[in-house]
Amino acid sequence: MIRDITLGQYFPGESGMHRLDPRVKIIMCLVYLVALFLVKDFIGFAFAIATLACVIAVSKVPLNFILKGLKPIFLIIIFTFTINMFMIGGEVIWQWGVLHITKEGLYTAIFMALRLVLLIIGSSLLTLTTKPISLTDGIESLLNPLKAFKVPAHELAMMMTIALRFIPTLLEETDKIMKAQMARGADFESGNIIKRAKSLIPLLVPLFISAFRIAQDLAMAMEARCYRGGANRTRMNAMKLGKFDFVALFLLGLFVLAIVMQPFILEQILEQITS
Amino acid sequence: MKTKHVIQAAVIAAVYAALTIALAPLSYGVMQVRVSEALTVLPFFTPAAIPGLFVGCLISNILGPYGLVDMFFGSAATLLGAIGSYMLRNKPLLVPLPPVILNGIMIGPMLYYVYSVPVPLIGCILWVMLGELIACYGLGYPLMKYLKKYRDIFE
Repeated sequence: MIRDITLGQYFPGESGMHRLDPRVKIIMCLVYLVALFLVKDFIGFAFAIATLACVIAVSKVPLNFILKGLKPIFLIIIFTFTINMFMIGGEVIWQWGVLHITKEGLYTAIFMALRLVLLIIGSSLLTLTTKPISLTDGIESLLNPLKAFKVPAHELAMMMTIALRFIPTLLEETDKIMKAQMARGADFESGNIIKRAKSLIPLLVPLFISAFRIAQDLAMAMEARCYRGGANRTRMNAMKLGKFDFVALFLLGLFVLAIVMQPFILEQILEQITS
Repeated sequence: MKTKHVIQAAVIAAVYAALTIALAPLSYGVMQVRVSEALTVLPFFTPAAIPGLFVGCLISNILGPYGLVDMFFGSAATLLGAIGSYMLRNKPLLVPLPPVILNGIMIGPMLYYVYSVPVPLIGCILWVMLGELIACYGLGYPLMKYLKKYRDIFE
């Protein structure tokens, strides 16, 4: 069961999106998410969808691959949609017994569902086009200014890198221990939820001991090679902002401007039409 | 931070992420019982668990389907919870409590406001707390008792 798990959602590629600096991509993603919450009507969303479509086209990640990422939250979307549709009061447009759909309910339901979908697609594009390791480097670099406040940016990034390296090893170890304990009669699948949670103890204790043994060896190996942490350490692949990164940041600026200004522009247009 | 602590934190993070991934459908979403949250008892044994759990949660949420918002709030809740557990390490019965409370009051509102889960706010909070309660007290607390026998691995 554990063997079929692909780690992360990274979709290998050489597109413009893939080659953007991870720091730029993280910033873009953050700004996009905030911008989504500034949108108050469907015209704003239409604009966000168009932008997202352009980004997807540039990233060359197949659309069905992206949509597959929505599967885990599909239930939530449907649930949210239904409840919003039936629960919000207002002008009734359809009624059957006690069930009724109102104009306001339908509007809110579509609005919320759309925002959720855009939220998930937008942020999954970041992980789809960025390797976890580059993401780690990006986060370290963005956290660097916080070093002044004693945030151990380098150590955190180092932990992430090592953890990412050991996840597959530990997954394999988990699988092995599970099988070994099952051969000894352990039962991971029956009983109520608390019993099932407790049945994981014979899995967790050996997993820990094995993981801490790895840690001990690794720490000794690193100390033997004089690892001393972040100061004066150089990188094999230093991150550097290129021409395209600045173009991307410029486009991002335009996007934010458009989202923020859109209600005012719309108002002006409407005014001109009516006058 | 000593090298040994950095590495210990890294393997705690890796165990957390590995467990979250191995038991994936249960680990994410509104109806989550994230078994890896049982590891929030680890600050009882070593302070290295504080950054370890934070990074583990961060990685799990990077790999998970919920995106950046969960990455931020989920990891922040875990970090604060771990600090709380560490401060309560002299009262073993209370060690699994901070993550239950903090995840409830941070993830509940996140589900409510950001993902617009249409359940009253208090319902979201209690729901998350229930999941955490099962993971932290149902599994975490017994785990803590068993791991006490192997205390020397943390040194």
